[in-house]
Amino acid sequence: MQRPHDLNESQWQAVCHEGSHLLITAGPGTGKTHTLTHRIASLIPSLKSNEKILAITFTNKAARQMQDRLAALGVDPSQLFIGTFHAFCLKLLRDYFEHTALPKDFKVASPEDITGFDKGTLERISRIKSSQLVISPDDEYRTYQRYLRQNSWIDFDDILREALLLMEDDNIAGPLRGQYRTIFVDEYQDINIVQNVFLKIMACDGVLLTAIGDANQSIYGFRGSRVELFRRFQEDFLPARVLTLQENYRSAPSLLAASGQIMGCLDLLARMDSAGKLVIHAAGTDRLEAEYVAHQIEKLIGGLDMMNSRRAKYSLGDIAILYRLNAQRHVLSQALEYLGIPYQISQKPQRKPVYSDEDVLGQNEEKIEYNVEKVSLMSVHAAKGLEFPVVFMAGCEDNLFPLDLIGMKGDPQEERRLFYVGMTRAKEHLYLTHARRRQLFGQMLMQNPSEYLSDIAEELKAYESVRRHSSKKDQDAAQMKLF
Amino acid sequence: MRFIADLHVHSKFSRATAKNLDLENLYLWAQYKGIHVVGTGDFVHPKWFKELEEKLEPAEKGLFKLKEEFAKPIDAQVSKSCKGQVRFLLTVEISNIYKRHDKVRKVHNLIYAPSLNAAQKIQTRLGAIGNISSDGRPILGLDSYDLLKITLDADAKNLFVPAHIWTPWFSALGSMGGFDSMEDAFGDLTPHIFAVETGLSSDPPMNWRLKQLDDFILISNSDAHSPAKLGREANIFDTEFSYDGIYKALSDKNDKGLVSTLEFFPEEGKYHYDGHRSCEVRWHPQETIKNKGICSGCGKPVTVGVMARVEALADRAEGSKSKRWRPYQNIVPLPEMIAEAKDMGTASKAVQEAYMNILSKLGNEFYILLDCPVADIKEAAGDVLAEGINRMRQGKVEIAAGYDGEFGTIKIFESGEREHIEQQLSLF
Repeated sequence: MQRPHDLNESQWQAVCHEGSHLLITAGPGTGKTHTLTHRIASLIPSLKSNEKILAITFTNKAARQMQDRLAALGVDPSQLFIGTFHAFCLKLLRDYFEHTALPKDFKVASPEDITGFDKGTLERISRIKSSQLVISPDDEYRTYQRYLRQNSWIDFDDILREALLLMEDDNIAGPLRGQYRTIFVDEYQDINIVQNVFLKIMACDGVLLTAIGDANQSIYGFRGSRVELFRRFQEDFLPARVLTLQENYRSAPSLLAASGQIMGCLDLLARMDSAGKLVIHAAGTDRLEAEYVAHQIEKLIGGLDMMNSRRAKYSLGDIAILYRLNAQRHVLSQALEYLGIPYQISQKPQRKPVYSDEDVLGQNEEKIEYNVEKVSLMSVHAAKGLEFPVVFMAGCEDNLFPLDLIGMKGDPQEERRLFYVGMTRAKEHLYLTHARRRQLFGQMLMQNPSEYLSDIAEELKAYESVRRHSSKKDQDAAQMKLF
Repeated sequence: MRFIADLHVHSKFSRATAKNLDLENLYLWAQYKGIHVVGTGDFVHPKWFKELEEKLEPAEKGLFKLKEEFAKPIDAQVSKSCKGQVRFLLTVEISNIYKRHDKVRKVHNLIYAPSLNAAQKIQTRLGAIGNISSDGRPILGLDSYDLLKITLDADAKNLFVPAHIWTPWFSALGSMGGFDSMEDAFGDLTPHIFAVETGLSSDPPMNWRLKQLDDFILISNSDAHSPAKLGREANIFDTEFSYDGIYKALSDKNDKGLVSTLEFFPEEGKYHYDGHRSCEVRWHPQETIKNKGICSGCGKPVTVGVMARVEALADRAEGSKSKRWRPYQNIVPLPEMIAEAKDMGTASKAVQEAYMNILSKLGNEFYILLDCPVADIKEAAGDVLAEGINRMRQGKVEIAAGYDGEFGTIKIFESGEREHIEQQLSLF
């Protein structure tokens, strides 16, 4: 077969690979989903009548996107199961209900349902459930599990654990393997140990696994994700081939070089020839930082009124503002609101709340009637998998990146990867801003720039300061004159 | 009934508007100007909407009047000569900013609603889409097409009017932020638009040169950001004094309810010519072509104004008329006329005082500008102003054209001419 023009050589190799498990290492903007969907589509014709492909995504949203892209390639949706681990496992629990120890009418509990346990306790238990295969339960854990059972509930993490128990029965796992001869897992760098073992049980007896991901973008350690599972793929799944996608189709070369320096010079090849711009801005305070961001956005979209109009390349939907902590958001949204710039706050891919099977399966998503453009505000975590022509990362300061603030301390390696994930969202313009003073959690903090900024070569950075804005009153007066 | 309507204004809740832009001042200044139906502006803004609910009451069908308790103190301020009936019509302007065909579009659109209920429906829909409380003219990342759809879905009697369609940065046909045709902007819903607003920088004959505008009736409004700017442009109707009357005049191609429009001299509008305000480069479109569109000041492309844009899209020769054409009269706001007569600044105290003085003697501004016998003006305000208004009515004014956001400047008298007029006339 000949390579189609929309796949490069390494993508084509990944699409065509046969005969063993496969791990595709795909850095940001290297066409991960593109490659994955083409590989799935190419395998569809060889399915036997009772067979299906299992494709595991990280979020329900990603599942829908993959569905759409496969539909565009002419794939019949009935030949696939696309969904998250939780969606697939919940389906198993319903299908093989009589083989579980669960009550017949079990329900997935929402956080609102659960009372009498504080947030810290629930997080601790969740972490245990997602990071340990064998749990030695303490009193609190036992009380919690009893509480769930009394109400005929299982929680989100239990969906996976209960499904794993099912898989120990070869009378169940065997036929499943017969049905799903081919398995795909997206975002493999973010899987946890329970998911890993689940896959090991599924992917044997000739079942072949294709995993795709990027170890440099593993950012969910706090949820039990383990990046070493990615590095261990060839030991877990025998025999396995590893292929790497190196050509980046997202970012301007200078931005790609800068983000590479954060990770110690990655060798991604820039395939975009757009001119990139990386701006470093130091603001006096977090409020001034937010004002700077809002005014830059006003400029980038060519002005909001007759006063400051100019030619613009970017629209509202082209721009994202990222931050490390949600606590940084308020001051940023205030500044946008002050200028009347439409914005939306995007949440992290939600594990919760979960209200029903439909929620787990992602069938309750709100239908969007109109496509409304807005500036996106979100944490760097929530930005994973997304791309924007213009990205602002606010709060590039030494206690926010890497996070080490008031009892919150991130894993240094993971913090660095998170910064890398943030930077690599940008296609053309990347603004890294920091403030000297910041109000956070009721305290006024004196801030220094993040060490990551100095990892970027000077020639790639442009330092931008602001002329003092004329007062609001002057501006209004000038504007009034025009009407 | 004959009446004058100004259907594009704002409230104090819009950005860069006067703090006294409230219902009372709209009511007051509509009387000074001689306007009978004035837009409320900004009805989508929650606080302004509350004020509308609180202070207005239904009058003629689809029109509203200021409640007695709020009108009374104002009535005491208005001189007898200017007293008139004022009605409100629910209006709002939306700033749509969005990308279409990979180009950033910025289009301002007006919506008129026949009832508070219809207005509230639009408010609810738009409130769910974006932020409607930080600006009376909200910025929404919504395609104009979708806004039109929402408008039509909310109430069959809603009217949708693309605002100042030639403004370079913020309009349906603007050179910078617009489209090349109404069809491009509004697609299959275009037939649901009956009227377009010409804006200050274009006059009806410029618009008549485009076949694509034949099905629309042209209307003119002030887009006032302060009460005193009401009626810079307006529409004269002679039909049933109601929303339905206006609706029919705009929507029914055979209806003659819209009689004529009152127009700025288009040269006075701030985007008539091309150029760069900051570089003080003001060019006739011919000059722009000669310079290949590049500013001689900064080397960047100049802001292409309305005259050039009309020329670029026109498919008829100058002097032709469209099917729904109406007569029009060019006017210069009376305070500017007084300032020109006195050779003083429009904002000066003397001009403001003279303005109020003349109104109390003769009647409202439109009466003075359009209908008042010149002899009466002469008697009440002197020879120079009377001669000035006489010249204005005949279109004998000289204007340094506006460009890139800078208003044009009016000149009616040569230097020394004012004294000459006074002397000459004092001989008799």
